Amino acid sequence: MRVTDTMFYDRAEVDGAAARSRLDQATATASSGLRVVQPGDDPGAAGLLVSENVSMQRIDGIATAAGRASDEVTAASDALGQIQTSLSRASEIAVQLSSSQYGASDRAGGATEVQGLISSILSELNTEVGDRYIFGGTADSAQPFDGLTLDPDGTVDASTGTYRGAADTRQVEIAPGVAQDASVRADVALGGAGGGVDVIGTLVTLANALAANDPTTAASTVSQLSQGVSQVSTAQAQAGTILDTLDAAVSANQAASTDAQKRISDLGDADEIQSASNLALAQHALDTSLTAISQSFQFSLVDKL
Amino acid sequence: MGSLFGILSASASSLDAQTAAAATNANNLENVDTPGYSRQVAQLEPTVPSELVGNTYLSSGVTMGQVTQVRDRFVEAQLPVAFGNAASSDAASKVLSAVSALNPQASGGLSDALSGFYSALSALSQNASDPGLRQAAVAAAGTLASTFQQTRASLESARTGVDQNIAGDVTEVNTLAAQVASLNGQIATASASGAQPNDLMDTRQNAIDQLAQLTGATMVSNSDGNPSLVLPGGAALVSDLQASTLSTVPDASNEGHLDVDITTADGTTTLATPGGELGGLLSARDSALGSAVSGLDTLAWDLANTINTVHEAGTDLDGNQGQELFEVSSASGAASQIAVNPNIVSNTDLLATRTTGGTGDASNVLALLATSSTLLSGGQDAADTLAQITSAFGAAAQNASAASEADDAIKSQLVTMRQSASSVSTDDELVEMQKAQQAYAAIARVISTTDSMLDSLVSIT
Repeated sequence: MRVTDTMFYDRAEVDGAAARSRLDQATATASSGLRVVQPGDDPGAAGLLVSENVSMQRIDGIATAAGRASDEVTAASDALGQIQTSLSRASEIAVQLSSSQYGASDRAGGATEVQGLISSILSELNTEVGDRYIFGGTADSAQPFDGLTLDPDGTVDASTGTYRGAADTRQVEIAPGVAQDASVRADVALGGAGGGVDVIGTLVTLANALAANDPTTAASTVSQLSQGVSQVSTAQAQAGTILDTLDAAVSANQAASTDAQKRISDLGDADEIQSASNLALAQHALDTSLTAISQSFQFSLVDKL
Repeated sequence: MGSLFGILSASASSLDAQTAAAATNANNLENVDTPGYSRQVAQLEPTVPSELVGNTYLSSGVTMGQVTQVRDRFVEAQLPVAFGNAASSDAASKVLSAVSALNPQASGGLSDALSGFYSALSALSQNASDPGLRQAAVAAAGTLASTFQQTRASLESARTGVDQNIAGDVTEVNTLAAQVASLNGQIATASASGAQPNDLMDTRQNAIDQLAQLTGATMVSNSDGNPSLVLPGGAALVSDLQASTLSTVPDASNEGHLDVDITTADGTTTLATPGGELGGLLSARDSALGSAVSGLDTLAWDLANTINTVHEAGTDLDGNQGQELFEVSSASGAASQIAVNPNIVSNTDLLATRTTGGTGDASNVLALLATSSTLLSGGQDAADTLAQITSAFGAAAQNASAASEADDAIKSQLVTMRQSASSVSTDDELVEMQKAQQAYAAIARVISTTDSMLDSLVSIT
């Protein structure tokens, strides 16, 4: 083949530029750590990266929401634990002061203590996490239970502990398209909704009976309080179950997120060893190209004649 | 019988011929770096024998025939198509590789905005009455809408940039086409004398090469030997001495992007279908970029309507039926119009998060979250639709890049073959000059010897 000067210089330009381009590409990959920057780098992987990214962030969002719900249910479970303790104490007082061995002053003291227990239980039932009342079902922006109100004669008003919340439970997403209860029904556990014992009403009855030195009525509350303890225990168990489910969901979603992150990395990240190897090869290729070009410039008949 | 004066006369014309040959070599060397220059060869011819000596005709030296260009017709015939294809795929590849709006790992892109919207709804589903989470959800909806707008605007900006390139190319094409038509006339005139106007032919070939790159025009020689140029669609860009004119016309059905029309010498105007760089630009603008834009519009339209349907079925914090969350008026251009309902932006209580429960009821948020897996008009959910748009664009960019490399390799090979045949080698030219120099010296010696012979003859008498 006849080789002309233009061919010679064009080749030097084209080959040198190609070697520099390869080096630039290898440097960009090695320095960014990314294999897929533009969709054209790997169209299939680019599409999957979009899907995986949306999926991962969706999973992260679900995990975060489930984690927050778990915090609320933990607070609810703790409150129910305190309520159970208070109810047990109220049961003890009811049993103790129903006995004829105790007099009016003992019962008056018991009434005061029961009023305190009612106040404490209602305080627990009106627990807030953030700005949210966790025992009101979906009606979570106002106190679900009316507070302790005393009548002028010192007895507990019948309106005490009236439930103002919603007769439902809140739900949270624990997986795409899967919802889970994220609250317990305090109106069922303590308000008597659904056929159970009205625990707050029973405590009010007990407090007023003790204040009125009425051991018979006080005695009538014992079995109801016992059932109330059982109801609260059931609610606490429900809270525990919900908590287990939410915690499992958090773990599962975190694991899924980690898997998705790994898939994203596999799809879009450059292999470090391969990148370093490509970079070294590209550097070597450019060096060789420049050397060859510079050496070939040395040969011309112009210098020989 | 040959005479000494005849020898002197033949030597004189031979010296002229060798001088012309050396001048041709010198011209080649002087144009060694001139783009488009085709090396020239002096055709030396023995003079026609006119003197009969005995039974033999004696030649009387050498004379200059023609100075011709060296061109490989086989290669030249293939080059216009190669130029056109390479320029077309290169233009498309450059346009598509410059678009970053659909980069899959770029932060702040549409996939981030889409996932951010659903993440905000996830957070809201846990505590639907929380003002901060409601604000965050509305803000995420706003980000999704504005990201749709930005992504579409970025793609449209690329398309508009292509229009500017097209307009510039059209101006250049018209100049070159007029130049070729004019050169056809000049070359025809110059050739009438029998001489080959090599420099004019080089200039015309340069213009033809550029037109092939810009439009994919191929050459058809007419009976006079003048080339006519024809666009891939069949329209004549240059017909002998007449050049057609390209013009750009906004196409209302294509968002005002430019079409290319061709007006022939008789005044007929039709839609041109150029190849080359113009064809590549038009293809990139209307195929890959156009599909991405229309895909985004469809996604924005479908997603907004799907979400609005669910949102309007819910109830806001005040107990009123939900309004549309996204405002979008038509499917065409939906990605550029989509915006969050300003009523909801100014009052997040209007976010319809519940159905029948209290303010903490998030059942409608859960329904909104379910739209993430709702199949849209294309048979895929929103994320997969976006992934499909990204993949399709990527495939087009990758194909253009691969085609560009392949077409460039073919073009480079042919250009190399053209250069091998037609461009100047200093080594070759120097050798040729040495030959001319040697011949010149030999002829000078002939003159000197003949002169001595004449002296001898004169001294006898």
